[in-house]
Amino acid sequence: MLTYLTRRLIQGVIVLLAVSFVCFIIFRYMGDPVISMAGQYATAAERDEIRKIFGLDQPPYVQYWRFLTNALRGNFGISYETRLPALGLIVERIPASAELAASAMVFAFTVGVGLGVLVSANPRAWLSRAVMAGSLGGISIPTFLIGIVLIMVFAVQLGILPPFGRGETVKLGNWWSTNFLSLDGLEHLILPAFTLGMYQLAVLLRLTRSGMREVLTTEYIKTAWAKGLSPARVVFKHALRNVLIPVVTVAGLQFGDLIAFSLVTETIFQWPGLGNLLLTSLYESDQPVIVTYISLVAVFILTINIIVDLLYALLNPKIRYG
Amino acid sequence: MSQRKNRFLYDFFRDPAAILGAAIMIVFTAAALLAPLIAPHDPYDLKTVELGDSLKPPAWEEDGDPEFLLGTDDQGRDILSTIIYGLRTSLTVGFSVMLLAGTFGVIIGLLAGYYGGILDAVTMRTADTVFAFSTTLLAILFLGLFKQSGVGIVILAICIADWVRYARTMRASVLEVREEAYITAAKATGANDFHLLLIHLLPNALPPIFVIMAVDLAAIIMLEATLSFLGVGVPITKPSLGMMIASGKNYIYAGNWWLIVFPGATLVLFVLGLNLLADWLREELNPRIQRSR
Amino acid sequence: MRIKTVISCIGLILALCGGFIAAEPSFAAPALVVAVESAPRSMNPHSENGDATLGPMTNIFDGLMQRQKSDGKIVPALAEKYEHPDPLTWKFYLRKGVKFHNGNPFTAADVKYTFERLTNPEVSQFVNDGKAIASIETPDDYTVIVKTKDPIPWFIDNMHQVFIMDKESSESRSEGDIGVAPIGTGAYKVTEYVKGSHLKLEANPNYWEGAPPIKNVEMKFITEPSTRFAALASGQAELINGVPVELIDKVKENKNLEVMRRPARRAIFLVVTNRPGTPTADPRVRKAMSMAINEDEIIKKLMRGQASAASQMVDPPTVGYSPDIKRLAYNPQEALKLLKEAGLEKGFEITLAGPNDRYVMDKQICEAVAKYLAKVGIKVNLDVKPKSIYFTEVMENKHDFYMMGWFDGTYSGARTFFRHLHSIDKNAGYGDWNGSRSSDKDIDQVLEKTNQIVDKTQYVKTLQEANKMAMERVRVIPLHYQMDLYAVAKKNGLQFTPRPDQWFVFKDMSKK
Repeated sequence: MLTYLTRRLIQGVIVLLAVSFVCFIIFRYMGDPVISMAGQYATAAERDEIRKIFGLDQPPYVQYWRFLTNALRGNFGISYETRLPALGLIVERIPASAELAASAMVFAFTVGVGLGVLVSANPRAWLSRAVMAGSLGGISIPTFLIGIVLIMVFAVQLGILPPFGRGETVKLGNWWSTNFLSLDGLEHLILPAFTLGMYQLAVLLRLTRSGMREVLTTEYIKTAWAKGLSPARVVFKHALRNVLIPVVTVAGLQFGDLIAFSLVTETIFQWPGLGNLLLTSLYESDQPVIVTYISLVAVFILTINIIVDLLYALLNPKIRYG
Repeated sequence: MSQRKNRFLYDFFRDPAAILGAAIMIVFTAAALLAPLIAPHDPYDLKTVELGDSLKPPAWEEDGDPEFLLGTDDQGRDILSTIIYGLRTSLTVGFSVMLLAGTFGVIIGLLAGYYGGILDAVTMRTADTVFAFSTTLLAILFLGLFKQSGVGIVILAICIADWVRYARTMRASVLEVREEAYITAAKATGANDFHLLLIHLLPNALPPIFVIMAVDLAAIIMLEATLSFLGVGVPITKPSLGMMIASGKNYIYAGNWWLIVFPGATLVLFVLGLNLLADWLREELNPRIQRSR
Repeated sequence: MRIKTVISCIGLILALCGGFIAAEPSFAAPALVVAVESAPRSMNPHSENGDATLGPMTNIFDGLMQRQKSDGKIVPALAEKYEHPDPLTWKFYLRKGVKFHNGNPFTAADVKYTFERLTNPEVSQFVNDGKAIASIETPDDYTVIVKTKDPIPWFIDNMHQVFIMDKESSESRSEGDIGVAPIGTGAYKVTEYVKGSHLKLEANPNYWEGAPPIKNVEMKFITEPSTRFAALASGQAELINGVPVELIDKVKENKNLEVMRRPARRAIFLVVTNRPGTPTADPRVRKAMSMAINEDEIIKKLMRGQASAASQMVDPPTVGYSPDIKRLAYNPQEALKLLKEAGLEKGFEITLAGPNDRYVMDKQICEAVAKYLAKVGIKVNLDVKPKSIYFTEVMENKHDFYMMGWFDGTYSGARTFFRHLHSIDKNAGYGDWNGSRSSDKDIDQVLEKTNQIVDKTQYVKTLQEANKMAMERVRVIPLHYQMDLYAVAKKNGLQFTPRPDQWFVFKDMSKK
């Protein structure tokens, strides 16, 4: 187990190095940040001075090396756009994104798995068929379209839910601000959380159903039925438990998707989260923020992956990692 | 073989969902291919587009113009024609990625599964990592960083991550059939590796790939629309469903609903058709489910 | 089992209580909420020489001067008066008794500190202005004598946007802190700032002009035009700027809203190269292109009437604007004739570059221009991309035909002409924005003449001459001046007048 963990960690470090290096290679194609840094009135000489100060006149590998050595000391550089520490800008946005993603996942997981179980318990009921058809629709509507349609219906036509922003937030401690403790904040959360959760919900529902379908035909479930256990007990206690392992694994492994779709959702709803920050930084060619964001996302995804793998190994004793 | 084929067709025609999916796909693909013949206008022939025709509602609405069945956009382009041409872009991207990423992924998966060892370890670890980051995220990041727009670059960006699906599936199938009797037999008769891979392993490992292809096509078309919606996809001189929706978004409060509803519905219908087909293929080709029937 | 449940219930209740106790309400609902189209870069008042940052900053900081709300005239602020004894010297007499938000008194040392800080490109976009200063003397706490290296007639015109910082607190804080927690002398203090999201302000009761009438203000930064409108329509904001032209009819229909307009200073134009060897080297071709574009239709259909046709690349208040220049009329027949004369009746191919996230309807205007030119046989390839990469390419001279929007905050046409029209001369700093590498020695000569002219009327006349030459030779194809569009919710009786500089100055606003 320990060797396995070490190997995964080494792999993770290699991936991180590769990812951040690729960023630096591509940066040269993404526009010269100095023009926006110096402002419209700057002369060519002033632009060159800025280029020097920020080390942008150096070849990419030198810039990369400097980034690496600084990053190891916890210094991710200064945002070109705001001249504030890049890490701070990102940390400041975490609460907004985390709360949105968590709400969406809780919603997707409870409804998705719940419906999946119900559907597989009574596969022939017309309601089950409707739910399955709906789930196919759910994976066929791109996230951005869900968001826009929700805005059109609930904000423009009916005017009952706010179409953008976080609304009133409440401060918890020093830097965490939450949507959960004010009515206004909760109202603002509904549409974006639904938008982000919809696709995952459909995916989880389908996974649960197909998992249940297989499990329900296995011998030990048949035995459980034969023993005369109540349907609820068979379904929840025996079957679902076995289905949940792969479902949780897939949910964990799809974290990249969650991040990508929250980027889309945050843009549509002008949610002041990480995804929005990344997109504006991309527009402004704010390299330090971009590379910090990408590195942190990479760390996050790799960590989740390792944890999922370990959990999987713990829950499923058949798997041994050498 | 022919019996299997008959069974396949028999199953297909018994399943209304599969027929519907196939019908949608055929109609939309045909429309895209025949775009210059069937589209009432050429929305990108700049000589014929008039700014004076801009933002007309669909023909049946008040102020509608029978010449523009589904209305016009802010440049005076016919929405119906733009949708048909937009499907072309979707399909170009979809099929190109499917073929490029598919071929590359299948080859990699085949080699990795057959030879194992370092090749297998390296490609599969890369595949795991790429998979973890998700195709959507990688494509957005790549195009966002690269900032050059073009159909080719969009295809490339999606391919960067998409080959992984094929490679993983292919490898798994190869591992499954590798040990089967006829392969060992072929090996014993001294068949060379190339022959073995191409003639024996590949065809037998392909069925799951077909399922992946159908699912993948749907996913790529959604992804292309998403990228174009975010403004990092195809250039504005190419019609794209995602871009139509993005520019329509500026008008949702102005009540010009047709700018979003028609391209949106087309996109969903198309992807839904592909998913229906994929669902059916999956059931049909999945031996485990079949046994349980 | 039961004990476990009880314990976890208690735990949950405690946790929730803890949450509520730690939670402090964000504060009373602000008296005024505005939604603005662009966010400030940071709370460092010199971080951007542009209205997105300067607008909010003017509420938190003061300059030595300020601009009157009615006519934009420059009047004293932190300086009670100034003297300009010779072309190089500016002497400021500072206001006494002014205090920064942290209680520090405002003195000459703060002015000196601020001016010196301007020269540091790491924290300032006013490097130009800072480096123009030769020396700063502070004979006493309330007098500042600035000497510039060269005569700068518009030095004072800039003093409303060079915001004075507190020397003592600024020196002791990191730039990271200065960038989020500003300390100024202005009419409002910052109570909460979330970068790119919102800024909450509270009236400064000790403001030297007296406390402002509106006590609390929240600025929401909403870059997406339709969302900004939604904020207004749903009552989440009372005042917005940058009303999307797509929605202008919708706003007018709405009885609760009022639209306010003011001609914007920014002119939108297309730059065409005159480099030998290109089809557009022939002035007749450039003229034909200009005549082929139906600007009236662009204004009517794309801009929804919210723009006015331009005849030149500067707006009327700019020094160097010439009322004699007339716009070339839309005339595609004449355009075809001119192209024939130039031997290009078969047309030619050209690429039009433009941004898609910078100006009102920028992308759509480029598409429309491509359409008009196609009708006279010129095949236009569109190259429209995000501004960050687009402007880089313009600076790298990648484009021969491109869209540009421009105005100069100091009202100097000379700066605009030297940047855009003069041939590229790296040593003199001319032609910095001449992306098309155009060159016209006649125009260069007239422009350079202005550097030597002391007489003001003669100076203006010569600038106008250069401008006229450039327009006669169609160095650029002027399109239109944008319109600043605001919308106000009527019900709260907000008194607001749009300013020429587009800033929201909250101390000048009130409610009935």
